Amino acid sequence: MITRFLTDVRTKFNPFSPRAKTVRKFLALLPPNARASGMKIETQVLPRQSKEPALLEVKFRDGKKLNLDLEKMRITEVMEEVDRHSRILARKDELLGN
Amino acid sequence: MPPRLRLQTRNLRICIQQRQLPIQQCFYASLATAIRPTPPIDQTIYSMPPTARFPHKQPPSHKPPEIRKSQLHRQYQSVLKSSPLILLFQHNNLRAVEWMAIRRELASALRKVDADRAAAGHTEMYADAIKIQIIQTGIFASALRVVEFYHPEEHPEPPKQHPSDPATVSSALIPNTKPTPDDPRFTHGLSRRAHEATSKKKLVLDPLLCGPLALVTFPAVSPQHLKAVLSILSSSKEFPAPKRKVQPSYHEGPVQAGIQKLMLLGARVDGKVFDQEGIKWVGGITGGIDGLRAQLVALLQGAGAGVTNTLESAGRSLYFTMEGRKSMLEDVQKGENGEKEEKADMAEKRAE
Repeated sequence: MITRFLTDVRTKFNPFSPRAKTVRKFLALLPPNARASGMKIETQVLPRQSKEPALLEVKFRDGKKLNLDLEKMRITEVMEEVDRHSRILARKDELLGN
Repeated sequence: MPPRLRLQTRNLRICIQQRQLPIQQCFYASLATAIRPTPPIDQTIYSMPPTARFPHKQPPSHKPPEIRKSQLHRQYQSVLKSSPLILLFQHNNLRAVEWMAIRRELASALRKVDADRAAAGHTEMYADAIKIQIIQTGIFASALRVVEFYHPEEHPEPPKQHPSDPATVSSALIPNTKPTPDDPRFTHGLSRRAHEATSKKKLVLDPLLCGPLALVTFPAVSPQHLKAVLSILSSSKEFPAPKRKVQPSYHEGPVQAGIQKLMLLGARVDGKVFDQEGIKWVGGITGGIDGLRAQLVALLQGAGAGVTNTLESAGRSLYFTMEGRKSMLEDVQKGENGEKEEKADMAEKRAE
């Protein structure tokens, strides 16, 4: 997964619900120096009884917000979605000569 | 070259003392069979000596025992059986330096707790036994299933003769001593029987068991130590992190970077699954297990005093009634005696 262009990751999940796997795997994909390189990562672990759906909000460098629907998406689909926009940004960078 | 120490050839000879058996000559075949009966037909066809083909402590397992998976499985089973309190963390790409720093902070905090406990007169010290370790999630889930659902000791089969037991006679017929894992007599945690009995079961902890996981294992449910661990690894309002003045090393870069990447997911306390709130509740038990005991004792003492009062009151009232009756009777008797004496006196006077 291309994580260079992410600036903000907000997650909220109940670890006891099976839908939370996607969020947890997404968090595990972020590189070790993510926080040091300026990415803001907020995680909130919900109590066991809560029925609140898992939340995964991603913000890119150009200000685009992506709110991913985790009821349906698996981690591969989430990665595809994030990579799609990241590739556009990478292309722009390349064209600007960076 | 001849040996430097001269050995006498007499000493090299193995001494075999053969007992001279009286020579018995059998003239009749019928008598000969009486002396030595023919073995049963099974023994002559199948040769099955009662010797185990595997070491006593290493019975055959479902997966080959020498591979890493099997050894981890065994190790996780023993961890699960020996630690009543386990915290589950997700670790997101921590670096080796960060792990090292976290382990160092954890050890120093726990040693402090132990020092406090020693000062308070406790004898149980767990600082060296509480460890944070990364686990292989799938193997851990399998080991947990075996620990939760497989209890062969609850349905014991009648004791069988074990081939390597010296008490087993050499002529005993033992069904199968070949090292095949299919044998249903193997009931250990790594056996095929354990695998088949548990592989389809569902765990409560199943949704937690995915992704990169780390365990903090405690050899006993000790809220004091849990409190220290929580304040280091996932500090919150109830369990504040140590202050910079008290413990400056905690606020160093690698420690902080590592702790940000650790997420507390849940816990397993005495076989039950707890979420974060539950863990906080366990950690918040004041005074640890002794505090709980003191509360219980106080409660029971209050109840005990009430019970004794009620039980005593019946006896006491009976005692008072009886005493009252006794004194009354005594008074009456005294009165009668007094009257009698008076009458006697009167009679004497009249006689005079």
